[in-house]
Amino acid sequence: MRVALLTLYSPALTTASPRGEPLSEQAAAAGERVVRPEFRGSAREYFRIWIVNLLFTLLTLGIYSAWAKVRKQRYLYGNTRLDGDAFNYFGSARAILKGRILAVFVFFAYAVLTELYPVSIWAFLTAGVILLPLILVRALRFNARMSAWRGLRFDFPARVRDAVPLYLGMPLLVAATLGLAFPWFIAKHKQFVISHHAFGISPLGCSMPVGKVYGIYLRAGLIIAGMTIVAILGAAVLSPVVVVLPQAGWLAFLLPVLAIYIAYAFAYAYLQARVTNLAWQNTYGAGVRFASTLGAIDLAGLYISNLLAILFTAGLAVPWAVVRTLRYRMENFTMLVSEEVVHEASPELLNISATGQELGEIFNVNFGI
Amino acid sequence: MSSLAAHYFDGRHAQRHAVTLVLSGGRAKIVGREVGVEFAARRVRISTRIASTPRWIYLPGGGACVTDDNDGVDRLVRERPMQRIVHRLEAHAAFAALAVLLVVTLFWVIVDRALPFAAAKVAEHIPVEAEATLGREALAGMEQFWLQPSQLAPEERAALAAKLESLAARAGDPPAYRLEFRSSPLIGANAFALPSGVLVLTDELVKLAQADEEILAVLAHELGHVRHRHVMRRLLEGSAIALLVAGVTGDVASATSLAAAAPTLVLQTKFSRDNEREADAYAIDLLHRAGIKPHHFAAILARMEAQAPRGPMLPTFLSTHPPTGERKALSGVK
Repeated sequence: MRVALLTLYSPALTTASPRGEPLSEQAAAAGERVVRPEFRGSAREYFRIWIVNLLFTLLTLGIYSAWAKVRKQRYLYGNTRLDGDAFNYFGSARAILKGRILAVFVFFAYAVLTELYPVSIWAFLTAGVILLPLILVRALRFNARMSAWRGLRFDFPARVRDAVPLYLGMPLLVAATLGLAFPWFIAKHKQFVISHHAFGISPLGCSMPVGKVYGIYLRAGLIIAGMTIVAILGAAVLSPVVVVLPQAGWLAFLLPVLAIYIAYAFAYAYLQARVTNLAWQNTYGAGVRFASTLGAIDLAGLYISNLLAILFTAGLAVPWAVVRTLRYRMENFTMLVSEEVVHEASPELLNISATGQELGEIFNVNFGI
Repeated sequence: MSSLAAHYFDGRHAQRHAVTLVLSGGRAKIVGREVGVEFAARRVRISTRIASTPRWIYLPGGGACVTDDNDGVDRLVRERPMQRIVHRLEAHAAFAALAVLLVVTLFWVIVDRALPFAAAKVAEHIPVEAEATLGREALAGMEQFWLQPSQLAPEERAALAAKLESLAARAGDPPAYRLEFRSSPLIGANAFALPSGVLVLTDELVKLAQADEEILAVLAHELGHVRHRHVMRRLLEGSAIALLVAGVTGDVASATSLAAAAPTLVLQTKFSRDNEREADAYAIDLLHRAGIKPHHFAAILARMEAQAPRGPMLPTFLSTHPPTGERKALSGVK
């Protein structure tokens, strides 16, 4: 969910009531001011930036991609206004380039070595699990500190050692319980990421109700199971067609796969919408609370129509898909301000210049929150 | 003297102040109801223009001004030439159309020429021994499910091995290979080139062939895979394509990952077909040097196709091998 990153604080910017219906003004308590982000970008304008980025990236064999990322982020942030003021992105292309070069080397080493020496996958997995807390914290910190609103940077002041118990211990627990602990892990993960974000020195707080997360995962599982049964029955009905028309055989194979894909997309959208809504519903800041009204059917429709548009335009619809997904997410995010607080900057971040070169950061990864 | 309307943030408090920014005599003055600061103009840094997004004017000490008056800012300062050019390219629909054409062309040049060339060059520098583990495990894996010991008489195997050896010797630069005979009722008549130059020939193919030249033609094709390092190249090309496609579609939601997987699959099967064509060309050339008529190759391909179990028919763009008609034409058979 990279698109989601922009919305507000870098990671998880989406909000909604649990059922996904639009938040009515009445839902805001007396005295609360309702603030919604507004996205002013257009697919047409973003397409022109995207295609120039892509052209220069191909011409420079990937080097320009770091500058492309900065221009893209600045376009999307600059067009996002909250309470009248636009967001600002400070990411340094040089820092991003360093990270990308490292990532490409690691990727090729992984792809080639795990193929040639299948045993080496264990080395990569072990290294990945051990480094996860470090990479996660550093990446979230980089993204947060590179994002600003009203001249103030966001921050992610968590220390790596805070992340160790959750991200080292949890994979083991999830494996030991054959995945049963996974929803619990997701709940704790969201809680960790959101509650360690801060705007200046104003922290966010989040406490995820684990039971409700289990309910969401259970229903998502039922969606997949139900749709898979339908797909298998469909395949059984279609199988005589293959005998009569061998040329159409690949179609009979494709249709059930397609049905399962749609089920998967829908279950994924359902999880995204409900877990995100739940997370923001349980998030508080200084003088502010949040609401998120993402709808599972809306999101699934977005995913599937984006996919079709991208496939049938050979990728040219990517900017359009990015803009409309972002707009939908913003429309469904609400900030409820109960007390007008003047947020203050973190003293630690005051000495960072606008170029942010000091934050030489190689772990520039986006985590799907 | 020039001035523009802006908002000022002190960088310490998230509070907006309406101000006027005045530039005169090398000084930048920010004047508002609660604000009055002044800096040397050369110490002020201005963000580059991106479409109509607000422009930031970063002040020494962490404060900043922001304004929507992009043209006003452009009148005050000249951007560096590169930045101006990028913004101008991004602003014109005509250039966007040209960029689409250039991107499509470049993409095709990279996929069709640059990548296979680079992969071949890199593969040359990776010793064949690197594939040894993979070759051993591939053969062991196939033996577990698909292959049984060969039922052919040892003399017959030795005769075929000797013929292949003298055929390979005709190549200017023969690759190192190891011929393995196996029986496989499940796979039927076929031959494979496994990593590290292991050639597997099924008894069924030997039985299907009406002349030894036909078997040699198939083995020459497999030798082509070994000679051109197709295992290593497919690995490198596959990884590079995955990276390239992810770069293009990368910022779309991950549920749309099929948007990245589908083109990757199509491009990877294209590489596979290209490799098959290269192996075919190698086989035809080798047969020619050994004085074996290429129609043997077409004949055995036709017979293999005729007896292959009928699977669902795939369109060419999803197929790992070129259409048989094309391969027959290559062998000079109409």
